[in-house]
Amino acid sequence: MGGAHGMVAQLARFAGALRSCGVRVGLSDEIDAAAALTLVDLLDRAEVHRALRIAFKLPRDAWETFDKLFAEYWDGRRAPEHPALRQTQPRDRRGPAQWRWDGERVRLAVPDEPQEPQGEQPGYSSEAVLRRKPFDQFSESELAAMERLLARLARKLATRRSRRRVPAVARGIVDLRRSFRRALASDGDFLRLARRARPLDQASLVVLYDTSGSMDAYTRVLLAFAFALRRVMKRVEIFAFNTTLIRVTRMIAPAGIPQSLSRLAAGVPDWSGGTRIGRCLTEFVALYKQTLIDRNTTVVCVSDGLDHGDTELLESSMRALHERAGRIIWLNPLLGDSRYRPEAAGMRAALPFVDHFGSAHNLKALEGLLRFVP
Amino acid sequence: MNEEIRSMQAAMERLGYIAEPAIATAVYLAKEMQKPLLVEGDAGVGKTEIAKVLARMLSTDLVRLQCYEGLDTQTALYEWNYQRQLLRLKIAEREARDPAKLEELIFGREYLLERPLLRAITRREGPAVLLIDEIDRADEGFEAFLLEVLSDFQITIPELGTIRAEHVPLVVLTSNRSREIGDALRRRCLYLYVEHPGFEKELRILQNKVPGVNEQLARTITRFVQRLRARELRKLPGVAETLDWAQALVRLHRDALDAETVSATLGCLLKDEHDIKATGGEAVDELLAYASAQE
Repeated sequence: MGGAHGMVAQLARFAGALRSCGVRVGLSDEIDAAAALTLVDLLDRAEVHRALRIAFKLPRDAWETFDKLFAEYWDGRRAPEHPALRQTQPRDRRGPAQWRWDGERVRLAVPDEPQEPQGEQPGYSSEAVLRRKPFDQFSESELAAMERLLARLARKLATRRSRRRVPAVARGIVDLRRSFRRALASDGDFLRLARRARPLDQASLVVLYDTSGSMDAYTRVLLAFAFALRRVMKRVEIFAFNTTLIRVTRMIAPAGIPQSLSRLAAGVPDWSGGTRIGRCLTEFVALYKQTLIDRNTTVVCVSDGLDHGDTELLESSMRALHERAGRIIWLNPLLGDSRYRPEAAGMRAALPFVDHFGSAHNLKALEGLLRFVP
Repeated sequence: MNEEIRSMQAAMERLGYIAEPAIATAVYLAKEMQKPLLVEGDAGVGKTEIAKVLARMLSTDLVRLQCYEGLDTQTALYEWNYQRQLLRLKIAEREARDPAKLEELIFGREYLLERPLLRAITRREGPAVLLIDEIDRADEGFEAFLLEVLSDFQITIPELGTIRAEHVPLVVLTSNRSREIGDALRRRCLYLYVEHPGFEKELRILQNKVPGVNEQLARTITRFVQRLRARELRKLPGVAETLDWAQALVRLHRDALDAETVSATLGCLLKDEHDIKATGGEAVDELLAYASAQE
């Protein structure tokens, strides 16, 4: 390692590798890690491992990545270039880009000529006939209408009263501290009492997105829905799933939406592949139920319920979500077709736990959603 | 292993806390680097206990701040003793004193009620251990406020001025992960994730905390609970539950486990109706067979 300098350089490379694998490690964490290394026995591999995990502040779900990289970087078995670094290159598998950043917001650009589907058609071709694509024919004015609608939806979601109390006029409990300070101005007489009341609190929203092939037509426009929500609500978490579950919230930073989109395309593997809803939801429940879901959370699941996997898994994870979440809304684009019956096994398993089952194939359907959000 | 970490581990053990190397390392680093330690893990794995043992080990005060939704600075930091101030004002009316002096008087230290955070930084006799329990229950606003206190260890009271920490307290924060802790706070701390203990550790904790239990029964209990944790349960039993169960068995004067006893006392381990139903006769038999088998 070559002295203290070599150690710091090695640490920086290691932190960089962690970052490229999606583990959030900041400069301050690196400084902490360097400080921790001065305090432990550097010859004791297990102790260095423990100290770094503590100083880098790694949550439980990042341990696996950490352990793997630790073995590579600190045991001298480092590969010349880490595969994860290559993976961060954008790989656009979505065909011609449909999203345009117009300087203010992301818009869905409608191609002049209808695009022929390219490459292999995703699975479930027998259902293909059901996939009319009204969202594909969006005009500028319709997009603007959708954004207005989303703003309304978001405001409606923000209805819970907080338990904290903030200064209020003429209602709420008496705030002695501020009353007292006011009284000082009038020689100790309480002419007017100050009060505190509970402000409105923002509800939180978790959006689970199916990005599989059978949902391809809807995915992009419904992601716009999620973007808009993220702009107006503070606590929105967005996950994409198909065969694996990806937390995409942090990939779509409000500051740089054009970059977000390419990052999204790169970060979600198997875009337009098949689905394993049950497995992905089970993973979601295991990793995030505790931290992201509570009574004030509305879970919105956007999927057609066409599952390659095990419906038992889907059922048990839906039950777990139902117990903890305030409300579960399932949006199924296929529901827009009058010939559709929710007979897919996955859909049937999930339905008993869904508070509102709605379609999401066009604006009118999304508008109907407002009725179910108090 | 670093000598000091080893002695830290031994000292914690002498006080009845069986610490894995990871826990001892984290405590040692937090102490040396003077950084708060954020401890996460399932309920009942002994997060709060770390702070308690630490306070005893350093023979200092444990100042505890239990967080809850709606916790505000008046409960966490300080509050003026309004009643007393008011009373003083009324008395002063008759004395016709100089108002400036009067104000100085009623905003003096003896009219200030110290709440945990202020108490922790004003301890004179050396650093206190400050336990901020279940930080995930407080709201984000409080977390942001805490960040300020934890970075500067000074508190500004408008009427009094800034109070600086006499000694920087050793801070332990615990979280049950019912909400994700903000990045800023996490960054400010060192982080320790405590898992359910392995067989050897749990057995030692059990023998340490429940002396009345015989060696054979302790082994069986531990194997039973370890196996139980591998099942699909909604709420896994923690060490606290194991100890409760062992204590219950000792009270019932059981020297060995049988299916009937287990079924009758399962409520000590499992605190969820669904879990209890899912651990019916067959499951208990299977667990018992596993637990009673010789290693």
